[in-house]
Amino acid sequence: MEASNSADDFIPAALAAFGVEADEIELAVMGAAHAMFWPPILELLALDTGNVAPEPAPDLSQAPPRR
Amino acid sequence: MSEPLDLPLREQAAAIATGAVDAGELLEATLARIEARNPEINAVVETFPDRSREMLGAAPPGPLRGVPVVIKDEWPLPWRAQRFGAADMLAKTAPGESGPYRALREAGAVIVGVGNMHELGSSSTGNVSVYGPARNPWNVERCPGGSSSGPAAAVAARLVAGAVGADGVGSIRYPAAYCGLTGLKPTYGRSAMAGHHMAGVSTTIVSGPLCADAGDCRLLGSVLFGEELRAGDAGGLRIGVIENQVSEDAAPAVREACEAAIEDLRQATGGAVRAIELPELPAATLATVLIANSESLGSVTPQRLNELSPELSPLGRGLLKYRLMLPAVATVKAHQVRVMARQRLAAVFEEVDVIAWPTVPAVAPPLEAPLVELPSGTLTADAANVRGGALANLTGIPAISVPVGSAEGLPIGLQLQAAWGRDELLLDAAEELERANGRRWVEAKPPLASPEQTGA
Repeated sequence: MEASNSADDFIPAALAAFGVEADEIELAVMGAAHAMFWPPILELLALDTGNVAPEPAPDLSQAPPRR
Repeated sequence: MSEPLDLPLREQAAAIATGAVDAGELLEATLARIEARNPEINAVVETFPDRSREMLGAAPPGPLRGVPVVIKDEWPLPWRAQRFGAADMLAKTAPGESGPYRALREAGAVIVGVGNMHELGSSSTGNVSVYGPARNPWNVERCPGGSSSGPAAAVAARLVAGAVGADGVGSIRYPAAYCGLTGLKPTYGRSAMAGHHMAGVSTTIVSGPLCADAGDCRLLGSVLFGEELRAGDAGGLRIGVIENQVSEDAAPAVREACEAAIEDLRQATGGAVRAIELPELPAATLATVLIANSESLGSVTPQRLNELSPELSPLGRGLLKYRLMLPAVATVKAHQVRVMARQRLAAVFEEVDVIAWPTVPAVAPPLEAPLVELPSGTLTADAANVRGGALANLTGIPAISVPVGSAEGLPIGLQLQAAWGRDELLLDAAEELERANGRRWVEAKPPLASPEQTGA
């Protein structure tokens, strides 16, 4: 099945699943956000990160440990 | 001597210390200037003259004794809870002593007002706020940048010489670029953060200074860091540049100004420019947005989302609700991208000292429609700006935006990023650049900051 970035199905279904209400303007905002974020999210999900060695609890104030 | 209000932060501090300027008179003059100039730009959303006078009366002989500053509406004060630019920010807040407040108080600084900010810190533009938008002093119909919109506009209009902002996804650097200021995003964890409603939760947000130049950022930054950011030597600077969207998909004037500034910096430091590669950058940008948004979800419940204040903007309400739908697997992947990006940067910073690219790819867009024209087409300013601003927040490295030019009467900013803990090198490099261009851009003032314009 092909992935879809259509907000028309996804957003109302997700809102219903969470029990969250939204008016028409909010739906339009969410639709615009979805159109912007979903394609790169799908690209991110397609990224094979299985070989990424974990950095447990990274200390962001410092460079990562050498590998 | 120049009008004390127009002196750099460090010169105000020195003049007060030597008795050349009376701190009480400076405070009253600052409050008067805010009253005169602020209505046009809505940079300062609240003043509290009696509290400010109390701070001055109790000010210890620190490095900023008697110097007026503005602090972003992201930090609580003992007499005021932060509002995060919003009618409803989900998190519980209360008045209190935040880390930046304590640092300022112990340095002797006087907080004269709270700076406006983009609602919920959620945009690079500053055009939406519960207080109404802050406006860019260079052109009040343009965005001041966000989310630290008010602190930047306040300094650009010379209401104060220094302000404290916060940077979770570029929120100090974007307004610094739009308003022609120097803005430092510190290494993660190095600057005061206590008391922030996301302290201990956020892995991207830091406090930092917004000032006219690097010397003032060094002083205010030292106060926020709790340690002196010593001047060093940027000689032989190895400057990394990247040939991809972040540097190439910029408005021609921005690209030319930044390329010229990089060459100026190379010559001034006797350094070298080297091409680098960051193939993880596009994924890192999305990863930053995912992580920053997911970290703010702790106080979200479906019921709470159904009870959002109607005074919250429709944009804010819609985006808060959309955050609920971000898939957990994407956030897991985002953390893996963070690991990859940190590893890549660690290797890159063995080859170069700083990475340079435009802070934002176009000058400040209109408040009414924050869109930018780029070689690739028309983009929202947020979509364009995040490409250059996110990496430092994702990985923890420090970054600085430095004014390097002007187009359409609006400032252009160059961003420099360095390895973890090398905040001082960024300040050194920024000062080299200032010297190289004769301080032309850090001393440029918008019409609003000219006394003949306002009489203040």
